[in-house]
Amino acid sequence: MLSRRGFIRAGAATVGTLALRPFGLLPALAQSGANYRALVCVFLFGGNDSNNTVIPMDDASFQAYTSIRGSLALTASELTPVVYSVSNAPYAFHGKLPELASLFSSKELAVMANTGSLVQPLTRSQYQGAQAPIPLNLFSHSDQQLQWQTSIAQGNSPTGWAGRAADYLLSQKINSSSFPAFLSVAGNSLEGQGASTQPVAITPGQSLTLKGFTGSSASQARLNALTSLLTTDNGVSLAQAANNNMANSIADAAALEAALAKTSPLKTQFPTTSLGSQLQQVAQIIQVQSYLGMSRQIFFCSLGGFDTHAGELEAHNKLYPQLSQALAAFYDATQELGMAQNVTTFTESDFSRTFQPTTSDGSDHAWGSHHLVLGGAVKGGQIFGQFPTFELAGPNDTDTRGRWIPTTSIDQYGASLCAWFGIPASALATVFPNFANFGSEQLAFFG
Amino acid sequence: MRPGNCSRLLFIAFAAAVVPFPGYSQSSSEPSSTQWLSASAAARFLDQATWGPTPATIAQSQQTGISNWLAAQFASSTSDIPDQPMLTSAGLPNRDIRPVQAAFFQNTVTGQDQLRQRVAFALSQIWVVSAGGGVPAAYAYPPYWRVFRNNAFGNYRDVIRAVTLSPAMGRYLNMANNNKANPRKDTSANENYARESMQLFTLGLTELNPNGTPVLDQNNNPIPTYDQTVVTSMAKVFTGWTYPTAPGATARTNNPEYYVGQMFAVESEHDTTAKTIFASITIPAGQTAEQDLESLLDALMAQPTMAPFVSQQLIQHLVTSNPSPQYIARVSTVFQNDGNGVTGNLQAVITAILTDPEARAGDDPTAAINPTFGHMREPVLFMPNILRGLNATLSSNSAVYYDSSEMDENLFNAPSVFSYFSPLYRVPGGLLGPEFQIYTTQTAVDRAGIVYAALYGQIAQGTTVNLTPFVQQAGSTSSLLSYISSIFLHGSMSAALAQAATDAINAAGTPLAKVQAALYVVLTSGEYQIIH
Repeated sequence: MLSRRGFIRAGAATVGTLALRPFGLLPALAQSGANYRALVCVFLFGGNDSNNTVIPMDDASFQAYTSIRGSLALTASELTPVVYSVSNAPYAFHGKLPELASLFSSKELAVMANTGSLVQPLTRSQYQGAQAPIPLNLFSHSDQQLQWQTSIAQGNSPTGWAGRAADYLLSQKINSSSFPAFLSVAGNSLEGQGASTQPVAITPGQSLTLKGFTGSSASQARLNALTSLLTTDNGVSLAQAANNNMANSIADAAALEAALAKTSPLKTQFPTTSLGSQLQQVAQIIQVQSYLGMSRQIFFCSLGGFDTHAGELEAHNKLYPQLSQALAAFYDATQELGMAQNVTTFTESDFSRTFQPTTSDGSDHAWGSHHLVLGGAVKGGQIFGQFPTFELAGPNDTDTRGRWIPTTSIDQYGASLCAWFGIPASALATVFPNFANFGSEQLAFFG
Repeated sequence: MRPGNCSRLLFIAFAAAVVPFPGYSQSSSEPSSTQWLSASAAARFLDQATWGPTPATIAQSQQTGISNWLAAQFASSTSDIPDQPMLTSAGLPNRDIRPVQAAFFQNTVTGQDQLRQRVAFALSQIWVVSAGGGVPAAYAYPPYWRVFRNNAFGNYRDVIRAVTLSPAMGRYLNMANNNKANPRKDTSANENYARESMQLFTLGLTELNPNGTPVLDQNNNPIPTYDQTVVTSMAKVFTGWTYPTAPGATARTNNPEYYVGQMFAVESEHDTTAKTIFASITIPAGQTAEQDLESLLDALMAQPTMAPFVSQQLIQHLVTSNPSPQYIARVSTVFQNDGNGVTGNLQAVITAILTDPEARAGDDPTAAINPTFGHMREPVLFMPNILRGLNATLSSNSAVYYDSSEMDENLFNAPSVFSYFSPLYRVPGGLLGPEFQIYTTQTAVDRAGIVYAALYGQIAQGTTVNLTPFVQQAGSTSSLLSYISSIFLHGSMSAALAQAATDAINAAGTPLAKVQAALYVVLTSGEYQIIH
């Protein structure tokens, strides 16, 4: 039986590029890990207030930070100092991110400053005068999440940027298996939806075995009945969509379950948090990439709870240790696997938050945000892009509350990651259609 | 969505093999004089309006017809979710919402107020408060649930008002203790409830025509319902409210969390400046917090966008993910004016949704199938439908909530105020399929596993099913399939499904094994997953 992954989505025009694959197929030959590369997204849902993630510690900046942030301002004792390795400029990480500060100092972690959704480069006066295109539905969680995931600031994209990258991998047969290149351990995400590829989404630690099939003739007949129905059609389109999803799920779950049976236990201890479990699951899948026939994979993880309109400091004190410990454990695991050079982890988030606090010791929805890029191939210890000027109604502000207009676009951020990942310049324009609006200028995270 | 022409043509080609399986389509003959509805029409209606048809409810609604059935539901006594203790026996804050979840599922199986519960659940998916996301106190949920139960057939204005003043929402989106801006500290009022109450609960992001399509400006661009300056003003409107004062406590400007009763105004923390909100409406300076709220409710109810915005979501929750613009328009016209000049009459809106020709078209088994019709049985609909259909008994500690959680719909525990899935989520091919957002590789496999467990003696603790009525039909494959189809597929089982189920039946030995095999194949099928 053949799965019809992506059949309806793709339509006739791209049918020839679709992966039609048998259930449970595993590649005959395992590939070497030397050429393997993985991108691992950690999406911070709710909009992380990155103004308190990384802080410039030069006197002028820190003074402005302390003065404007008021009840949200961290004191020096609540910060872990680090130094920008190129200029020796002082920065600091939130004190509940000690593992990440350490990875920055050991040059495995870089910071991408003030990045967000943009159609094209934008100034405060252009924004305020509506003289240039601005992203659709700014400051809305759902829209800005999707713009991070699609890199289409104009909105309404049916595909995500990682899905389009997966489309490219499929078109070039980069992976020897038809197992999907995008795998989420945090639910369905538009980020991994391609035009000709669809993501896998699993729950860490949960069995992928289809229950109730003992091999008896009766159970085999039941299984045959179930699978035979997946290619039938009762005329209801959504039933067909459910069938397609079920067919893919059974095939993907079986392939993954079989590959994961090859894992050997990791020595690295992961924290027993949601993100820790997710990243542990990702590490295990990376460990068996050769059995899955994968040489390029994109993973999607998430941590929620960042919508800190109130009680932000308390919330960060709970969330940041989870983030820091899980990312550090994951990096350790890639080292243990000998894959630290082959795996790059990066953050995304809806948006950052107002520099000016709310009356309830929190912050409201804003825009440009600082992000983290972690891995053995990363030029760590560096700050890429520009920090905003800490001034309400200043040059980077949309209004008067410190909603920073991004100075680097998601396209540039994503394209830089994808270039390392192995998407050639010729294909980047398809994966990131707005990239040319920024002069196709990449960030030098790698090398 | 992808450009549709090619895929649509191909789709039609693949869809050609839909023929009613002889004998499995329930009576398509005219109902007798004492029966207003055919059994299949009754079952199909009950799939939209209740937690699932049973032989008894099918027979009963056949007798009453839709209009009398609705009238009885509007007058029905209400089921309840019992209050929960604030503290555990050890004196700690009680964060165990499982008894709340268990009571919810028990009500779905035994409650007489089936439609009220369905509408209340739909409203609760619009007006989300979540235990994991900020309101862990278990005792907050029974009163919050009652807001929707009590107003399910009331007026949408009362829903807005009751939720706005509910301490659970006050906590979740920070309207509780949202003090006015403090110039000395250079702070601003909290924008959380201000923004989300517009985006998610009342207006949405762009102005809508009555048929749900966006209103376009002269450049063919959608018109935002509000911008950041409106959010800032709305945040000021919502200043000056605090939690109810707990028994024995002294009222304070900023009371600590307490979830029984309504929030009350603290005028000293209310911003009394004039506020220009959506549609350039000005709320005048000098009003109290209460007056500002009433002004805002007046303004909201006067926005023509609210009717299609809310109507479309209620249609999606009850009937179909992709209603036609005409269907939305018919319902939103009733939302706008129930015929007596009242806006937001939910009883009239629900009636319009369930009696609309588009909702009822499929009742006629000879009618052509509308390929875009229907919606996926989300886990919280899936579990009760199976349980009711299988004559289940739930004890007060029934753990079926766990099955729903495993399928990514953990009741009263949505990941965020954006709920479990977005009304805008699309399936490959471009149709809206909100519930598919939580239909993943994992949950698809899990869903089949839960069906297996329910049928083969491994159902959640505190829960039993009774397959006897099915076993009584097992002597004849066609009788058995007809019976299963009448309950779970309103008699619409396709020929392919019937054949597949027959193959599974034929490989099974005992009558019970035949029943289990047949039900397994039906309840895991795509055509059962989609309520159509």
